[in-house]
Amino acid sequence: MFGFLKKVGDYTQDAVGAAKYITQGLGVTFDHLRRRPITVQYPYEKLIPSERYRGRIHYEFDKCIACEVCVRVCPINLPVVDWVMNKATKKKELRNYSIDFGVCIFCGNCVEYCPTNCLSMTEEYELAAFDRHSLNYDNIALGRLPTSVTSDPSVQPLRELAYLPKGVMDPHGVASTAPRVGRLPEQVLETLVQNAAAAPAATPSRADAPGAPDPADSAAANDA
Amino acid sequence: MLTFAVVTPGLDLQSSFLELLEGLGLSQGLAQLLWLPLPMLTVLVAAVVGVLVNVWLERKISAAVQQRIGPEYAGALGVLQPMADGLKLLFKEDIIPAKADGLLFTLGPVLVLVPVILSWLVVPFGQNLLISNVGVGVFLWIALSSIQPIGLLMSGYSSNNKYSLLGGLRAAAQSISYEIPLALSVLAIVMMSNSLSTVDIVNQQTGAGILSWNIWRQPVGFLIFWICALAECERLPFDLPEAEEELVAGYQTEYSGMKFALFYLGSYINLVLSALLVSVLYLGGWSFPIPVEWLAHLIGQSVEAPLVQVITGSLGIVMTVLKAYLLVFFAILLRWTVPRVRIDQLLDLGWKFLLPVALVNLLITAALKLAFPAAFGG
Repeated sequence: MFGFLKKVGDYTQDAVGAAKYITQGLGVTFDHLRRRPITVQYPYEKLIPSERYRGRIHYEFDKCIACEVCVRVCPINLPVVDWVMNKATKKKELRNYSIDFGVCIFCGNCVEYCPTNCLSMTEEYELAAFDRHSLNYDNIALGRLPTSVTSDPSVQPLRELAYLPKGVMDPHGVASTAPRVGRLPEQVLETLVQNAAAAPAATPSRADAPGAPDPADSAAANDA
Repeated sequence: MLTFAVVTPGLDLQSSFLELLEGLGLSQGLAQLLWLPLPMLTVLVAAVVGVLVNVWLERKISAAVQQRIGPEYAGALGVLQPMADGLKLLFKEDIIPAKADGLLFTLGPVLVLVPVILSWLVVPFGQNLLISNVGVGVFLWIALSSIQPIGLLMSGYSSNNKYSLLGGLRAAAQSISYEIPLALSVLAIVMMSNSLSTVDIVNQQTGAGILSWNIWRQPVGFLIFWICALAECERLPFDLPEAEEELVAGYQTEYSGMKFALFYLGSYINLVLSALLVSVLYLGGWSFPIPVEWLAHLIGQSVEAPLVQVITGSLGIVMTVLKAYLLVFFAILLRWTVPRVRIDQLLDLGWKFLLPVALVNLLITAALKLAFPAAFGG
């Protein structure tokens, strides 16, 4: 008899607990209703790709020496370097160069190893095409510069989260001059130079100590 | 029963319309014939517009919950998006799979949609603002809603697709198991109002405004009814029949174009209908939180005055729709709050929890009715 009552009690407790948790969950979803959308309204707004973004590869025909290093470092030997040996001058004569971006994995090895820096990464990522063969870019197409998000008048550029000022979460309405959180490499370098200049004057006793402190170390110590 | 005496006849469009036509010299039969299509068309249009509003709300609220914007460019705030969706479905090719049973495949969605639309017959928006005040109103709705699983099973089976079949079977199992606690919780209400008619059920809740609504006397019944209504509509957390992660789209998998639109329409009309019935059965239907008779008395107007009748009539419609859409909002919010249950959990909840609780609720209601006939409709 009492065993049955205990069962009923446990069951009720379970039901009340479940109701409590569902109410809690409803509270969470209800709270989200009043939050601002965090989405980027894509064709009208675009995020500014980071400076290390690996987009479509840019190629400068005139700089290329047809050494084929890009082909050798490519995981699938993708770049096609079409050259002929000019017997008269005993030099390679480049005729065509192409990369098929339908196959490229944008690893950036070719850019990394190119001895003349004729290859570089752009911030272009809109590579949709009706035909996959039209993604096979020749040296003319590879030489085109993409439209920058920031200079396109039909697009409102938005900064990514890491590029926003400190404490700001919403990229809308942030002034383009507002500095990003943290310091840029050149700013770090500047303080290093300043510290190095100030260090001998401020602490002359430490300068002649064995293993004089590296300027970078003292800068780090001053920062902390 | 005493409360029935103070209930005013309210706006009666039918008798006014008939009087007008007979005044113009038409025979009574002809006037009746001219009247008949009007409420039906009105309700059909109301149901479809209700679905459009519902789809828009669903998309906008879902977007807001997920911190998105949702449809934005089709009309102001995307209000025309449901129209665009419907138009798209209208223009799509109507495909019947080669090895499907053509007749049953076509009949399935029709059999799902028709009972749902028929159920609008008994939804009252005012004392006389419904198509037909049938004496067995709520019972008619329950009876009609049990035709739906046949249509679902039919379309699932005739599609000749394993996912469709599984979805159809699940839909049938779910609908049948949740119909019982649903009917039992309705029975408790019927017991209190001594009538199956939806109009009588609302009238029994109009005595003292918000305080006389059934939700205070039947809180458990309200919860059971709402859970069962969600399960009947196959809304999350009970959308197993069309669980896209496991069953593609359940019984809708092979459907496209207008046949798919019929399912879509059916499920949304059903949701609005369920919300309307919850507001009728538990939230006082068309009644204002403060009785309109009191308000009319306060400003020194007779409830019988034509203008007051029109105002109270429109207020009734607004109240019914408002309550229903509040419940729809709650259903949408619930959709993004709770995860989908497993099929065994679903059947466990239906048979081992809701059914006994609904039975106990019914017994307690009966006991309370005997003990306090004044408060529980003697």
